[in-house]
Amino acid sequence: MANIVKVPVVPTALKSDWSPPQPTAKSISPLVERRLLPAGTAYLGHVRRAVHKLTFEEHDK
Amino acid sequence: MAIQTPPNGTAEAPIEVSEVPTVVGINFGNSYASIAVLTKEGSSECIANEDGERQIACAIAFHGEQTYIGNQAKHQLVKNSQNTITGFRNLLGKKFSEIPSNKLTISAPVIQHPKHADEPAYKVEVLEAAPSPLPPTASNTPAASQVATPRSEPTPATRYLTPSEVTSIFLTSLVKSAEDFLGKSVQGAVITVPAWFSESQKAALEKAAADAGINVLQLLEEAGAVAVTTTSEAVADLPKDRTQLVVDLGSSGLELALLSIREGLAYSLATLSDHTVGGDFIDDKLIKFFAKEFTKKTKTPLNVAPSEGTQDKRAEAKLRLAVEHTKRTLSASPGAANCSVESLKEGLDYTGSINRLRFDMEMRSIYDQVYSKVKELIASAGLDLYDVDEIVYVGGSASLPGLDETLAQGFSENVVTPFTAGTVVGGGIGDPTTILARGAALQAKIIVSLPENTDEEKEVKLAFTGHEGSEWIKTKATSKSLGLIFPEENAEGSLGGQWVPVILKETAVPARRTVQVDVDLGEASGEQKVGFEVVEVKEGIKIEKEKPPKVEYDDDDDEAPEEDEEEEEIEVK
Ligand SMILES: Nc1ncnc2c1ncn2[C@@H]1O[C@H](COP(=O)(O)OP(=O)(O)OP(=O)(O)O)[C@@H](O)[C@H]1O
Ligand SMILES: [Mg+2]
Repeated sequence: MANIVKVPVVPTALKSDWSPPQPTAKSISPLVERRLLPAGTAYLGHVRRAVHKLTFEEHDK
Repeated sequence: MAIQTPPNGTAEAPIEVSEVPTVVGINFGNSYASIAVLTKEGSSECIANEDGERQIACAIAFHGEQTYIGNQAKHQLVKNSQNTITGFRNLLGKKFSEIPSNKLTISAPVIQHPKHADEPAYKVEVLEAAPSPLPPTASNTPAASQVATPRSEPTPATRYLTPSEVTSIFLTSLVKSAEDFLGKSVQGAVITVPAWFSESQKAALEKAAADAGINVLQLLEEAGAVAVTTTSEAVADLPKDRTQLVVDLGSSGLELALLSIREGLAYSLATLSDHTVGGDFIDDKLIKFFAKEFTKKTKTPLNVAPSEGTQDKRAEAKLRLAVEHTKRTLSASPGAANCSVESLKEGLDYTGSINRLRFDMEMRSIYDQVYSKVKELIASAGLDLYDVDEIVYVGGSASLPGLDETLAQGFSENVVTPFTAGTVVGGGIGDPTTILARGAALQAKIIVSLPENTDEEKEVKLAFTGHEGSEWIKTKATSKSLGLIFPEENAEGSLGGQWVPVILKETAVPARRTVQVDVDLGEASGEQKVGFEVVEVKEGIKIEKEKPPKVEYDDDDDEAPEEDEEEEEIEVK
């Protein structure tokens, strides 16, 4: 199951004249290469999803 | 943690569904080892051996027909050092020619093996039990040869033991202790290894364990064992996404690792080793301190660390054994700790004491050296001390509260250490001397319950057991943090709203995070909207004088379209 993080921030309603900014074509910054420690249940989940080609939701079941 | 191992009883569990698997975690240090088993409650705990020790000295001594293993063997260093073997873990997988000859050994000499080229061996003198006569069989024993009476006296003999053979003997005794405790045979073990262990060292350890009849489930890097322990057992108030500093101060060295921990998934951001600081150096200072006191009291000269001459050498060996107890007392309480040695020199007994304040004064340069290495490590990762959320201590010498006090000054006041969290005392979950073995046992539980019916399942298992080659440890990770901005009027700072970090930088992908916020719609009536932008930010730390440190985010104002490999789920309630 997904872990739900309760955020301490309490946003208020948007101003009535607010409009969403134009979507930009930019993607996120380049990803970096890392080496996981092959340990723990989170690593097991990570590998299982990759090997069995599962999404998070499918893996939750 | 988001993902749990399937509890016993699911379709994937092995045959003994109702039982706790009889697996062990072994922390195999160069000086001390420890063993952990699983509890019925699903956690793990360190067990004591027959002699009541949880920290079992990696030492084997031969005395006549006797073989001693563990702390008893270490005591043989006083009078029988030539037949006492220590420091063998670090010789595993090494050629004789690779071992520095200037390495000061207080124990049995390491020589070139008489039979195997370029292989090291310990040379010890033992008494071998008299060979028993061959059992009479019709085929190989003519009647006449039965006449010789077997000798009843054991005979002196020289034995050559390779580091691998010594390791096998030692590991056998550890597993036997666990089996005595469990009342069952051990199905498998995870053994920890230092980050710098080479492939040939790992291969040698694996072979030594196999020769001892141990089913090795995995050789686990020490940092991995730390990650398992610290993400399996709940520590109050720690975010699941955090930066963890691991400070391992053992006997012979300091090992540092800076870990990115993201919902239990961990990797190393930077590591550093320093072999000029550690428990042995603490001992040097402490025994010098006591030797000086002894001389003051008795007017008998005594020079130790280094020592010359048989008398002083023996006195040094006795002091080294005695301060083991002194240090443990000092870790446990701030009051006076004793050091007692019978017949330290020239038949004179010695009892001295030192309190923690004085001890910490003597150790100041050691603590400071660790601190400066910690700063070096964090700088090498391009981070700041304030980026560290948690400090974890590993290794016997990291039990000393003076070290934590020294380091704590430099970190954010919110940093969680086992000392601030109160989890060190009484073998708590933060206990530096048991953390590796416990993590290894929990890891063993995961691996032993992995099914192997399909190719995919085998592949998953290989992701743990395969060496460096395993594809799955390679991952891509974010280089900047992603989060939400809730636009707000007159917002502070440059972001134009309230910032909620969701996927931190250094998070392996694919990643999923779910956040929940309460919104304040005020008193107004009618339809109202709540909105947010998804942005990527560049983080920096801004420290203002007199005010608590504050994190400032320079907005790139990129709206980040989700990438294919990113899975993001945002729930707004
Ligand atoms: N409670 C304690 N307080 C202070 N020092 C301790 C305590 N317990 C053990 N030590 C010291 O810790 C050292 C052993 O630590 P540890 O078991 O982590 O070493 P190791 O992993 O075998 O060695 P290394 O990693 O250096 O090869 C010894 O110097 C021992 O005296
Ligand atoms: Mg160690």
